[in-house]
This record gives sequence, C-alpha cells and structure tokens, in this order.
Amino acid sequence: MTVQPVGSRPGGGVQKGSSGSGLADVIDTILDKGLVIDAYVSVSLIGIEILSIDARIVVASVDTYLRFAEATNRLDLTKSRKPGLPEVVQTVTSGGGGQQAPQPEQLEQLEQTKERSPLEAAGDKLSDFSDAVPRQSRQEG
Amino acid sequence: MDQSATYIYGVVPQDIEVDAEATGVGDPPAPITSIRHGKIAALVSDVSPGRPLGTPKDLYAHEQLLNATAAEVPVLPIRFGAVLASREAVVEEFLAPYHDEFAAALTELEGRSQFVIKGRFVEETVLGEILAENPEAAQLREEISTLPEDAARDHRIRLGEIINQSIEAKRDADTAAMWDQVEPVTVMQTVRPPSHELDAVHMAVLVENTRQDDLDRAVEDLARKWADQVTLSLFGPMAPYDFIVSQEQDGE
Repeated sequence: MTVQPVGSRPGGGVQKGSSGSGLADVIDTILDKGLVIDAYVSVSLIGIEILSIDARIVVASVDTYLRFAEATNRLDLTKSRKPGLPEVVQTVTSGGGGQQAPQPEQLEQLEQTKERSPLEAAGDKLSDFSDAVPRQSRQEG
Repeated sequence: MDQSATYIYGVVPQDIEVDAEATGVGDPPAPITSIRHGKIAALVSDVSPGRPLGTPKDLYAHEQLLNATAAEVPVLPIRFGAVLASREAVVEEFLAPYHDEFAAALTELEGRSQFVIKGRFVEETVLGEILAENPEAAQLREEISTLPEDAARDHRIRLGEIINQSIEAKRDADTAAMWDQVEPVTVMQTVRPPSHELDAVHMAVLVENTRQDDLDRAVEDLARKWADQVTLSLFGPMAPYDFIVSQEQDGE
C-alpha cells in the first residue's frame, strides 16, 4: 500500500529511500521529533519503561580532533591514489563530531539520555544493528 | 499480558482505513487499529505495560507505520513512546480536547509530505581541501610526521581543531547552498542539527506531493555538482515530524 518505487538514477548520485538509511536516522527522527504527547495529556499517560537510547548530540571533543588529525596524517597528498579507497573510507565509521566551534576549555562530551534506565542494553543493541550508526565516542571516567 | 495499555502513533483524518495487516510495536507486534472521534482518528495498538519499549524493531515499527501512512494521507506523528491507559483515555484526554487543533493541522498538511536531505562529506576529499586551503594545517601535519607521538599531541589536537572548524564552515556554506536550491520547490524547510561530524547538509523539507519530482531534480542537480565532495541522500516521503510543534514544545 505504501511503497514508492525507489529507483537509483544513473548520474544523479542521490541515494534515495523511504526513510533513513539506518537506525541512526530513525532515532534522529522519531525520538527527537513529532508531537510530544505529554504536552497534551497528563492524567493517564503511562510511563512504560523505554529502553535507553542515547540521542547523539554532536559536540566536538579532543577525541574528535585527534581522530581528524589521524585521518589527515594518513592522507596521501601525492594523490597517487584515487580517492575513495576502501581503507580510507572505512575510517569514517565512528566518532563524535563538531557542532559548535568550541574553545578548548569548553570541550566536553554531551550525552543526552532519552528516558529511563537500562542504558547498556540498548547501546549494545544499537551498535549491533548497524555500523552506519554514528555513535558518540565516550570519554573515560 | 495481564493488562493492556494503548500505544499512540499518530493522528489522521477519521475517514482513513487501517490496513488489516499493519502491525506496530511490541513482541509479537500488535495489530494497528484506529480510534475515531469527530473528524480525526488516532492510530493505536495495544501494548503490554510490563514490557519495556525501544528495541530497534519497535523503533522501526513506529517509523514505518507513520511513513507508510504519510505516503497516503496527512498524519500528525507522535514522538516514540507515548502510551495511554486505555482506548477511552485516548478519546477523552487527547482527541476530544484538541480536536479542532488537530483537524486544522491535518487540513494544512493535506497533499504535503516531508523529505529529509542528508549530505556527508567524503572525508579524504574534504581533508585534502582543508590542507590545501589552510597553511597552518598543512604545516602542523608536516611537523607531526617528524615528531615522536607523545610530543606531537598538542599539534594533533590543534590540527584536529582547525579541521573541525573548517568543516563547520563548509557545512554552513553547503547547507545554505542546499537551502537556496530547494527553497523554490518546497513549502517549508528547516535545518536539522548535524548528526555526524562529517555532515555537510542535514535538512528537512515539507513539499507538495505534486512537486516531489521537482524536489528530486533540485537535489540531484546539486548532487551532480558536488559529486566528489559530498554524498547526498534524499529520504521520504515521511510523516512531517519536523513541522509539527505543540505549544509546550516550543521552548525546547
């Protein structure tokens, strides 16, 4: 009843889909957006336990910087290689990131936890689910 | 399953028919039904209060139901995880008090749906550009390669910081370019926060269904232009998650 024909068109270079490419896109959408029912209902809203999902707020961290530096270091500036070699591309799979232009003293890891308890379980599930999920790197301690 | 509660997915016009096959959250997934009130209806399913929600399957079920619905009719998507005590409560506390507000929003959404445009920098290309554009970055890179690893830590942090700032500037520029590119063919647009450090564009647009092809073309034109630098994706049609705001959400 619902599926739009999704064709990749030659030369266009736009990936298409009915929704996001992975769980990360789903989370961006349905956990961050949409009507919040609490704003309307308070009497009989039931607080069913929701497995924790970390909403990834992208904030630049030292980890991010070091990772960028590392990636830069691996760059072959002689351009003897063609862009897009798999080993280079694969380095892009994880990490935090930068939203603000933070001063060094402001560097911190923000992690917003969407609701209630067992954090670990969902984290593991998410990482199992898709390597396209850009997970936030955590700082020790 | 001692007792069941009612999970809410979204609000739709009352005259829609729910596919008998449609299922939602829970394990096993419960069938979707509608609860009608006046001109509107809520899409719901029974859910056991004893089982936590939020597995990837649950998230996909919620999203897919709403996206499938949005492809056919206007829908007000509700954020994941809303559960009321009973079907009666859905009418009494949610549909009835806000009937007119919801009906008006659905009318406004008639014939429109949301798409998300997402672009990701090709890392190798963007890093190469930054080194070429920024002499300090290029010099830091040189120095790092000659220093022992411990001694180069500050250099590496500084280099990474420069790269990060440069990417942010490029992101702003690309987002602005995409905004201008799609503005003529959309009803509304909104920039989403980046979800990854290499995001070039992350934006949601509301488009008339009759102009989806125009949107396709607009995005493809830019995709062609950016071919080596940015990988672009266009997702949709989906429910208008980014364009529905209840008053109390405004301050978020």
